[in-house]
Amino acid sequence: MKSRENLIQFGLLIIALSTIVILLLIALFILKEGLPIILRVGIKGFICSTHWSPQQGQFGILAMIIGTAWITAGAILVSLPLSLSCAIYLSEFSTPKVRGTLKPIIELLAGIPSVVYGFMGMVILFPLIRNYLGGAGPSILTASVILGIMILPTITSIAIDSLQAVPHSYREGSLSLGATRWQTIRMVILPAAKTGILSGIILGIGRAVGETMAVIMIAGNSVIIPKSLLDPVRTLTANIALEMNYATGDHRQALFATGIVLFITIIILNIIAHTIARGGVEK
Amino acid sequence: MEYKIELVNLSVYYGDFHALRNINMQIGAKTITALIGPSGCGKSTMLRTINRINELIDGTRIEGKILIDQKDIYHPKTDILQLRKKAGMVFQRPNCFPLSVYDNITYGPRVHGIKKKAELDEIVEKSLRATWLWDELKEKMKKSALSLSLEYQQRLCIARVLALGSEIILLDEPCSALDPITTLRIEELLVELKKDYTIIIVTHNMQQAARVSNYSGYMLMGELVEVNETSKIFTSPQDKRTEDYITGRFG
Ligand SMILES: Nc1ncnc2c1ncn2[C@@H]1O[C@H](COP(=O)(O)OP(=O)(O)O)[C@@H](O)[C@H]1O
Ligand SMILES: [Mg+2]
Repeated sequence: MKSRENLIQFGLLIIALSTIVILLLIALFILKEGLPIILRVGIKGFICSTHWSPQQGQFGILAMIIGTAWITAGAILVSLPLSLSCAIYLSEFSTPKVRGTLKPIIELLAGIPSVVYGFMGMVILFPLIRNYLGGAGPSILTASVILGIMILPTITSIAIDSLQAVPHSYREGSLSLGATRWQTIRMVILPAAKTGILSGIILGIGRAVGETMAVIMIAGNSVIIPKSLLDPVRTLTANIALEMNYATGDHRQALFATGIVLFITIIILNIIAHTIARGGVEK
Repeated sequence: MEYKIELVNLSVYYGDFHALRNINMQIGAKTITALIGPSGCGKSTMLRTINRINELIDGTRIEGKILIDQKDIYHPKTDILQLRKKAGMVFQRPNCFPLSVYDNITYGPRVHGIKKKAELDEIVEKSLRATWLWDELKEKMKKSALSLSLEYQQRLCIARVLALGSEIILLDEPCSALDPITTLRIEELLVELKKDYTIIIVTHNMQQAARVSNYSGYMLMGELVEVNETSKIFTSPQDKRTEDYITGRFG
């Protein structure tokens, strides 16, 4: 009996370890493929140069970094007012029944394949933006709106959980002093839920930075420094996806190096999210 | 004599459950009234009904009247926010907000529209002095209130109500999370505060009722069995049920 349990335990340990090993192997593989080119052109030459022309041997990804930053910032700007209002309504004003129905539906939005979001952007947003704002359609703005909608479920769902985790005694305490519901939300509930909401936002940023398919379809993918929100841009993820299937040699390495930059960005975001969450618990 | 608070044929329901049964009680200004009785008899419900916080619970309903300064607080024209300001509440467990000491105390004044820093500073000092917290906390205004000990947190909750400008303080078993020595200190504080405030304190600790209160009411299963001067309740109760409870023969 005992030995059988030990066996099961050992098996589970092996499986758990292999997950970690696989992750490590992927990281190592990307590093091995991408690091040489970074070392050759220098971190500065790689990250701070805007010249990306693989045929001429120029591998600067600044334009893509800027494109990613713009789209991500835009997505957060689009998403935040919506997801926060939604979370505040569902947590503080709706009945538990409404909340119980709507929250899973919102979370379901996260399950829609990103190609569908990209498609929606093409058929709905392209014409709208072309007709009312100008430009061709594919742009920072289009991608920001669509990505903003894509990260809604992540931020909303985490924000609802953080608001719901605020002890009921704070609400009662505030209302019993003659505060209105809005004052209670603004002055007590939101500050108390701040850390949770922030880590939700950071996870949302992570999703936006990592999104590929939808972005390729609607961002335009030009390697340029954008001058307006209607300009097309290329993101880091799109760069890899678009060029990987024909890249060789240094070019291929440069794409892996782009992957390293993404990998590090996501790791940093996760560390920030965890630190914030932990800080919240300690308090 | 004009009473500060009057309960007139007050009944409270949770759905179909009749939690307070036809309560009649008069409370004079600047007195301490203790509500005693076994758990579940409706003491908290009574306090929460006076602050009108209880109506946030779905399905509560009241019959009868509560008058404060001769005004019916359940009249449709009553300003609930002003009422809650007038009759501030201190809960069983300290519920300081996760904000600084300063922001906790100024919370009440701020939600009621006081913005001037000088005015807020003055309120803070006054209410901290009144709760004997000034010397300990004057250097710690920016610290999180949650970093304080439970006793200080509960005193801060009392200070928060004083800062609000309340005339009535409703305390729901304010010492149940505290040890005996800190409990005595809070009791001393309450006796001091009685000079300026009308206080109702719920307690299931009879010694506490005997030590702090001028009047005591004994409640049982939603009824106010008997209310009288505290010394009379404890030495010559009129009702057999009160006597049984006082002498520990309850149940
Ligand atoms: N939210 C509620 N819903 C339904 N019944 C409640 C609720 N709160 C209290 N009660 C009932 O009302 C009665 C009085 O409760 P309470 O006022 O909390 O008593 P006490 O403070 O004297 O212990 C109890 O029987 C309790 O079960
Ligand atoms: Mg109670």
